[in-house]
Amino acid sequence: MSSDAHAATSRVADVPLSPHFGWVWWLALLASGGLVALLGYTLISVTIIGVGVWGVNIPYVWGFDLINYAWWIGIANGASLFAAILVLRRHDLRTAVNRFAEGVALFAVICAGIFPIFHLGRPWLFYWTFPYPATFEVWPQFRSTLTWDFWAISTHVIVTSLLWYVGLIPDLATLRDRARRKVVQQVYGVLALGWRGSVRHWAYHQRAYRLVAILVLPLILIMQSTVAFEFAVTLVPDWHETRQPLHFVATGLAQGLSIVLLVAVLLRWSLRLGRYIDEGDIDLLGKLVLTSALVSGYLYIDEIAAALLSGGLAQEATFTRMTGQYAGLYWTAIVYSVLIPQLFWFRVARLSTVGGVFVGFSIGVGIWFDRFSIIVGGLQTDYLPSVGRTYSPTLPETGLFLGTVGLFVALLLLFVRFLPVVSMFETRHDEHEEKSS
Amino acid sequence: MTQHSYGIMAEFKTPEALMEAVRAAKRAGYTRLDAFSPFPLSDLAKELGVRTSVIPWIALVAGLTGGVIQYASQYWMNAIDYPLNVGGRPLHSWPAFIPASLIVAILWAGAATLIGLLLILRLPRLHHPVFATPGFARASEDRFFLCILQDDPLYDDAAVHAFFGALSPLAVQEVPACD
Repeated sequence: MSSDAHAATSRVADVPLSPHFGWVWWLALLASGGLVALLGYTLISVTIIGVGVWGVNIPYVWGFDLINYAWWIGIANGASLFAAILVLRRHDLRTAVNRFAEGVALFAVICAGIFPIFHLGRPWLFYWTFPYPATFEVWPQFRSTLTWDFWAISTHVIVTSLLWYVGLIPDLATLRDRARRKVVQQVYGVLALGWRGSVRHWAYHQRAYRLVAILVLPLILIMQSTVAFEFAVTLVPDWHETRQPLHFVATGLAQGLSIVLLVAVLLRWSLRLGRYIDEGDIDLLGKLVLTSALVSGYLYIDEIAAALLSGGLAQEATFTRMTGQYAGLYWTAIVYSVLIPQLFWFRVARLSTVGGVFVGFSIGVGIWFDRFSIIVGGLQTDYLPSVGRTYSPTLPETGLFLGTVGLFVALLLLFVRFLPVVSMFETRHDEHEEKSS
Repeated sequence: MTQHSYGIMAEFKTPEALMEAVRAAKRAGYTRLDAFSPFPLSDLAKELGVRTSVIPWIALVAGLTGGVIQYASQYWMNAIDYPLNVGGRPLHSWPAFIPASLIVAILWAGAATLIGLLLILRLPRLHHPVFATPGFARASEDRFFLCILQDDPLYDDAAVHAFFGALSPLAVQEVPACD
């Protein structure tokens, strides 16, 4: 009974509809659920006791909270930017990776959003950044980068989640129509909003989806620059640099790409989706990751050149970061985010599952160390004589970080379990185009 | 009987067959047509005369509105209603007002486009007559459907059946109307 097209996407649809999913999934969900519980615990403790439970103190007012915020937002922006470019270019790769790239972006921005809110010290007053007519007649200070951040994060969450959901609607309709159990039919039926595949609806849907995907592009560039401006508008030497936005955008893209690659390789392997995410896709992703790592490398050289040209305190601050007590962070960042990805010059490494996981993970780690190095290492030399403190994260801070990793993994696991990870209608469209050409 | 029907639906195996059916229906003078497919068919949409140019206008108007509101409110709040002198910097620091204005413009444009899309398509809706067609579930997988609606001026049960019969579809079914 089934024609080619019928079989084309059934593997993708079978995954969310299968009644059992194996113990590995449950084990992974249990582990990440444990970390989410840890996240809850650390958030409650910092709310009740205050930010004193963290290792931050003058001059290190920014510790893990900002490091991890900048790291997660980099993943979110990198993945979003990548997805938007694929849609814009109508690239074949978009069929395979767009859905979960947008998912990665959304989950990462949720993790990122937690940090600045709790960094406020009184998280329950976070709405003060929103201009509402308060009884004490005070408005937020819009000349501060922190208010830009409020708009950027909330816009990213709203626009990406809407875009992701609207893109999912036709696939949810497929799940509704394929589901056999009444409850499952009803759940997907409600989520599909009554999509019936009318050609007129498709035309509007595609136009709107593409248009918003294009809008995401400038949003991401502005947003990642906003994160960098939070550093650049301070007077701290080494942070107060015009090259900072470029550094954050480029390394953020490397980071987003590497996490997309990591997820792609794992999905392909665990869900046996080799037909939808094929060798060509993985090879191309690998090349993109390598290119972005080379761009990161270029920016590290640019950092040295900028320091040499600047002279004075700024130069001293940058070189202290590379040679001082936090030098390990800087060099780890270089090794993990620039040198290890050079493995991808070899086709064998690009195509192997282990290679993809190793390099994807290593860039993620590398950029984390880069953010650590910029934030903590950048503060050792200030215009003021330092009080001679050092910064190291306390247990609640580490728990908070691990908790967000758990939250990210848990969201990803639920996504993989209940939603189609590859766009089914795009796959059908592509296969039709291939057949007719 | 005809007033209780939504239209007559023919099922096809390939998008090419659907395209031919749409062309034939237009030649035969039918104007109230609706086609259903498991993936976007842009040529067919053109054939059916679907114009989507309202979408970019929604984005543009909403984006401009959002951006202007954001800039104006920042100006009014920081320069007029609550002027705060920070180290003698100008109250109307326009460069500082730009990032949030651009971001909020994108927020309005994106949200308005996607919510507007749902309003244009009149979604969500819980039910639609076409879902009652036997086998219509495969419209979201691998089958292509053409429906000639009951309110077409040329609509006549026997004539439509005869018209579809000539195209050799997989099936031709009457779609009952909902109350």
